[in-house]
Amino acid sequence: MSFEVMVGNKATATAVKLARVKVASAFPVTPQTTITEYLSEMVANGELDAEFVNAEGELSTQVIVQAASRVGARTFVCTSGPGQLYMHHPMHQTSSGRLPVVMATVHRGNKGMQPDHTDLMSQTWTGWIQWYVENNQEALDTVLMAYKVAEDKRVRIPIAVGYDGYVLSYTAEPVEIPAQEDVDAWLPPYKPMPSILPDEVDWDRMASGFGRGGDPQMRWKSHHDAIVGAKEVTKEVNESYGKTFGRKYGDGLLEEYRCEDAEAIMVAMGSIAGTARAAVDRLQEDGKKVGLVKLKCYIPFPNEDFQELAKKYSVIGMMDRNICLGLGGAAYGLIRNSLYDLEDRPSVLQFHAGLGGKEVRVGDVYNVGEKILEVAKGGKVTSFVHWV
Amino acid sequence: MMSQRLTRAQIPLEELTITPGSACQGCGAALAARLAFKALGPNVIRHGIPCCPDSTTRHPRAGGVFEGGGAMLTGTSRALKALGREDVQAVGFFGDGGTYDIGFQGLSAAAERNENIWVITKDNEAYMNTGNQRSSSTPLYARTSTTPVGKLTQGKQMGKKNIPFIFAAHRVPFVATASVGFPEDLIAKINYGKTVKGFKMLIIQSPCPVGWRFDPSKTIEIARLSVQSGVWPLYEIIDGEKLRLTYKPRELKPVAEYMKPQARFRHVTDEQIAGIQEDVTRHWEKLLKSDELGQLFL
Repeated sequence: MSFEVMVGNKATATAVKLARVKVASAFPVTPQTTITEYLSEMVANGELDAEFVNAEGELSTQVIVQAASRVGARTFVCTSGPGQLYMHHPMHQTSSGRLPVVMATVHRGNKGMQPDHTDLMSQTWTGWIQWYVENNQEALDTVLMAYKVAEDKRVRIPIAVGYDGYVLSYTAEPVEIPAQEDVDAWLPPYKPMPSILPDEVDWDRMASGFGRGGDPQMRWKSHHDAIVGAKEVTKEVNESYGKTFGRKYGDGLLEEYRCEDAEAIMVAMGSIAGTARAAVDRLQEDGKKVGLVKLKCYIPFPNEDFQELAKKYSVIGMMDRNICLGLGGAAYGLIRNSLYDLEDRPSVLQFHAGLGGKEVRVGDVYNVGEKILEVAKGGKVTSFVHWV
Repeated sequence: MMSQRLTRAQIPLEELTITPGSACQGCGAALAARLAFKALGPNVIRHGIPCCPDSTTRHPRAGGVFEGGGAMLTGTSRALKALGREDVQAVGFFGDGGTYDIGFQGLSAAAERNENIWVITKDNEAYMNTGNQRSSSTPLYARTSTTPVGKLTQGKQMGKKNIPFIFAAHRVPFVATASVGFPEDLIAKINYGKTVKGFKMLIIQSPCPVGWRFDPSKTIEIARLSVQSGVWPLYEIIDGEKLRLTYKPRELKPVAEYMKPQARFRHVTDEQIAGIQEDVTRHWEKLLKSDELGQLFL
């Protein structure tokens, strides 16, 4: 174990090295670029024994790791914003092939260069698991956990780990680096199933191509079930990571902060959660009992966790750093969806914050907290949607 | 080193094709697959992208996105290297759409990186899987469903992309043309390529009776006429510079003999045929000169 003050992109590259990734591929795109540089250096110096393919575009990077994963290598790919959108097509094949690729998405929104979550959210339908992390330490820890979950035989689904560009990618924070031997013991080498090597292949499973037969809808169902089932595996892995390395993040799906005697809660994703911690501290200092829930696992969505929260709090305010244009905030809609069947439903408020990289200050989140509390105290809900 | 002459008796007897396939009668591409995989042997991971269902072979096989051929092979070959299994060959068996058009960018990048892969293309000169739409491999004047014979224009107005030369310009170790009408030559080239580490490309002209509109019993005749007339010359280019013609008739047959039996050229005038003849002869003379010099002469 050691400490280093490092930027988010270096924390991610360090996790890739610790995971002993065998094949990685990337195409530089701001603000992900320096991951490709760190990895190139690690390979050139012999610190990381891997094939690193500097490909000619993101679409190819996704296909490269997909094929390498199928052959049996542990793989890594990373991108941002437009690059994330460009690799959309093969992302479907990676997940349909049930290949445990791990990807870092260094958020850059779909309008301009600045960070928001619209890049990765645009991949909602690709059948990947999506996690959003708060700081550089969590980025390192979460990339390691991602391999453990993705490669679990019960899951076998690729995972995207998102963190905000610039705010984390290029900002240095102290990061604790686990010892290589501890990671090796916790994360054994990847063994693919089934194998595609000519001398190992299972010919019964190799009936490839069109006309595989059976109910075509079942392929969708089993894929969906595997993603939903990953919630339990994620919780297990989060616990086991905590036991081994001394850090865990809530139950792995979401994390509560000062919710114990709160009257209402706000929900944040990514680096805004860090800002919100400071805001919650101030709110509670001022006697305003608002707690914070950090939503980490967006897909699969932790419906059950929110149903539990709904028993305790009468108002939930979601701060979405995204918007599905014409539909609204993505997590907001899902929270409401998860609560609909309850008899006692809390009010759910929608806040859009940090879109297009708009700075979210502690004061902004403080105001959000006050609005939520106002409703909790019986104030009239004038609008469910607020732009911070 | 270049490919070594082969006799028919030296063609491997073992079939890796699982019959019956779902190809059309007289499909050139099915034959291309049969011959190519015979020569490649069983130790192969085969990648396909959307294209005609030429034939299934007894190989682990993975499909992927249409535009991803080069990257798919790259990922496969790099993972094999990382796992110490370089004995396994990463082979792409693509159509001309996947090689000439939608997959071109990724293949060019893989060639530039000199990935240790095989790119084999069954070139049937149009998007035959979707029903004969033009590709950049479709030859001048050929009628396809998107280059119809109309009042204003008749057939394709542009020529065929010279893909072997484009890839040779990447200075890769091996680029060659082949034809299903010349199986010994095709297999000899694969045998040579198997000894080469790096990017290997084989473009196999594979006549399509349905799209080119000729009698399905004439596939081999058409394939041979294409080579004998110089429309599809057989050659190999080593390291992007050494060119050798592997079939050198004393005299070329007229291109009309190749074009006339194909209804895709039915509307072509004698004047237009004369123009094509001139083009083919000029290109052939350049190839002869390159062959003589042992040097690619553009």
